[in-house]
Amino acid sequence: MRFVSFRSATSVLATTAMLLIAAAPSQAQTRAETLRYVTGSAVNTLDPNIPGSTRESFALSMSTYDRLVAFGRKQLNGKWVFDLDTITGELAESYDVSPDGLKLTFRLRKDAKFQDGSPVTAEDVKWSLDRCVTAPILGKAQLLTGSLTSADQFKVIDPLTIEVTLPKPDKLALPNLATVYPMIINSKVAKAHATPDDPWATAWLKEHTAGSGAYVVETFKPGEQVILKRDESWNRGSANKPAFFKRVIVQSVPEPATRANLVERGDADLVVDLQASDVQSLEAKGKLKVVSTPQYNAITYVSMNNQMPPFDNVNVRRAIAYALPYDDMFKAALFGRGAPLFGATWPDGKPLTGIYPFQQPVKMDLDKAREYLKAAGLPEGFSTTFSFNVGQSSTAEPMAALVKESLAKIGIKVDIQKLPDAQMSTQINEKKLAFFTEGIVAWLPSTDYFYRNFYTGNQRWNYSSINNPDLATIAQEARFEPDKAKYEAAGRKLNAMHFDLMPQIMLWQPNQDAVMAPSIEGYTYEFHRQVDYRDVSRK
Amino acid sequence: MTGLGATMVRAGRRLLSSLPALFGVLVFTFLLMRVLPGDPAVFFASGPNAGKEEIEQIRKQMGLNKSVPEQLVFYLSDIGHGNLGRSMMTGQPVLKDLRERLPASLELTFAALLLALIAAVPLGVVAALRPGSIVDHGVRLFCALGVCVPTFVSGLLLIYVFYYLLGLAPDPTGRIDVFTSLPPQHTGFLLIDFLLAGDFEGWWTACKQLILPAVSMALFVIAPLARITRASMLVSLGSDFVRTARSVGLSWRKVVVTYALRNAILPVITIAGIVFSTMLGANVLVEKVFSWPGVASYALDALLSSDYAPVQGFVLLMASLFVLVNLVVDICYGIADPRVSIE
Repeated sequence: MRFVSFRSATSVLATTAMLLIAAAPSQAQTRAETLRYVTGSAVNTLDPNIPGSTRESFALSMSTYDRLVAFGRKQLNGKWVFDLDTITGELAESYDVSPDGLKLTFRLRKDAKFQDGSPVTAEDVKWSLDRCVTAPILGKAQLLTGSLTSADQFKVIDPLTIEVTLPKPDKLALPNLATVYPMIINSKVAKAHATPDDPWATAWLKEHTAGSGAYVVETFKPGEQVILKRDESWNRGSANKPAFFKRVIVQSVPEPATRANLVERGDADLVVDLQASDVQSLEAKGKLKVVSTPQYNAITYVSMNNQMPPFDNVNVRRAIAYALPYDDMFKAALFGRGAPLFGATWPDGKPLTGIYPFQQPVKMDLDKAREYLKAAGLPEGFSTTFSFNVGQSSTAEPMAALVKESLAKIGIKVDIQKLPDAQMSTQINEKKLAFFTEGIVAWLPSTDYFYRNFYTGNQRWNYSSINNPDLATIAQEARFEPDKAKYEAAGRKLNAMHFDLMPQIMLWQPNQDAVMAPSIEGYTYEFHRQVDYRDVSRK
Repeated sequence: MTGLGATMVRAGRRLLSSLPALFGVLVFTFLLMRVLPGDPAVFFASGPNAGKEEIEQIRKQMGLNKSVPEQLVFYLSDIGHGNLGRSMMTGQPVLKDLRERLPASLELTFAALLLALIAAVPLGVVAALRPGSIVDHGVRLFCALGVCVPTFVSGLLLIYVFYYLLGLAPDPTGRIDVFTSLPPQHTGFLLIDFLLAGDFEGWWTACKQLILPAVSMALFVIAPLARITRASMLVSLGSDFVRTARSVGLSWRKVVVTYALRNAILPVITIAGIVFSTMLGANVLVEKVFSWPGVASYALDALLSSDYAPVQGFVLLMASLFVLVNLVVDICYGIADPRVSIE
């Protein structure tokens, strides 16, 4: 019966609808003051510290919460990118680092207020930082990389001054405080919602915000969209005025082709995750602004398990490194949109830089590859499986086909295996994959950080499962090396080892292609690889 | 009254007998998810610094640190309390997610099915009236095309033509324009909620958003509906009672609509029921292309990330809906053909 009534009702309505004329957009004036940002990802929590939170949740929290300090920005080849070396105050008006590097003192802004109007005090800062290192949340592992591990390290000096003590002069302590996790929470509000089971109010903060950020959350539909409203009193931006856009709409649009259509038609203002082919054609049409920045803190690899035969033999790894069709892969996967990490020339056979990642002097040279295979005792080649995850298939699929074709020429038979994302990460974690492609990202890209996190230990991010004590020691020592020249020398040594051992093959740093309406200005590539809504404005 | 009563009794019996099947689906999905390779904890612990500790913590949070039989017992007792678990993806209780997303899927599926029926039944009738004619072949060609083109292709094509080239359709991003405010929620069906709120402008925006996805879904299911209508109309038109009706000189309309079509409609209702259940789950591609916040795309995302609770919740929901739809079809039988309920 329900069926029938619905049907007649709808047909009547459909006729009335035909008589109505499409309503003219009545929000014409506010449209210019609204940023509509579309993304393939989705916000799943308002607190980025919750395990499982998405990249978009990270980006959102940058606008809803403030931190003590923030990264500055610099121009890299004419494009704005975040600058790890310039750290400016956000909630802190100023900060001092003691000469021995063991004490950081932050003086808070006197005029800083939370979104509920109460002032930001050193107590709030201490509570928030304590939460980050104590509660079972993501911030813990991150702050560990900056020697921030215990609540005892944070001391309130007076209501507007807080002191952070370090066990060692760690270069990464200060930058860590500018990352996503150590956001400053209104401790009075949060404590009111804490329970004995959940003293750090993680459940409540997942659905609510209590911060001092530039934007207030107006509506939050997990997985669909978030609408933000500007906080008029926020003045932590560069020019002591509130953020530009009165309203920000963060909308999830899963289909990349639809995102491209939206921005091309002018219905969306900004998108950063289009397919390389769409970016290419949009750029060619020239109607939109395209800002392509190599993701200089991210790397795509072809990785080999150094503990698993035949890849435990360094000559096999070298053979692969000389058998990959780098240029074709770069074109097929990324349409050349990125910074290559292959094809360098080292005149004296030594690394040109102590910075990681670096361009390795490898290019496709099948004769050389065959020689290495012979040296490995496998002149006839072998069979193996090359894996990639479904989520990356638009770039990895053409790449895998080229790898297979090229390796066949030196006798290596490759089967291509496409794995669902969860399965791929599980197998990587369990070290079960022999030969695969994956990417990494580091928020605080410094040479020692890369080597410590991605080339040591029996842990997930050590894709190649390399276990080289020398490499680990040099990287560990470099971490606390205050002398710049010595640090550079250690970096060069590590890079030379990388080329010699060839644990995995660095391919490239893909571009972040931000496509935006011509009126949008100020886009900056941020460490979290999403858009910081506070950066952009409309002319 | 007795006819209606009998139908109700039959329906009640059907409902009871489907409970074991639902339980079976519940346990089977649960086990299937555990057997799938891929550890959700590892997937969700993918922050740039997430290590072993984080993985363990998520595992604990999802209850994966217990043995599978224990997990099953906890899961069944949760279901008994009306708790479907929590999604890692959206961070929300699965029940809440499904409750919010189901009306979106239902609204789209109803609209698509309605469009499909409106197009398919006349097409089938016309084809059956002139079998072998140009019209019949035309209908066949149209149906073949509809089935051949996958829904996401027709969806993308429709977007390209009506949104991108002509600019007639609104942007294909969900159920409503982002700048329109939502009506107070009563049923979750936007078309109904807007009407209840008396907001016709809003109703029209929601309707415009619905047209393209509904059409691309309808195109796909017109074929089975039209074909079955044609086949069953052919049988019906060739039967004795129609010949009698014709010979006594009843009007064409009375013969075709009242006698032939009413008798031919039963298989169409059955197929419509099946088509409806399939559409609800299979419209994932349309939901993806049009960013429609429905249950199918939700389940697919959950499946890719091995997020157990939403997938289990989705399968349970689909199984329950299937049971319900079969019931409704049963009741419709009674209305279309009183003999069915007299039995």
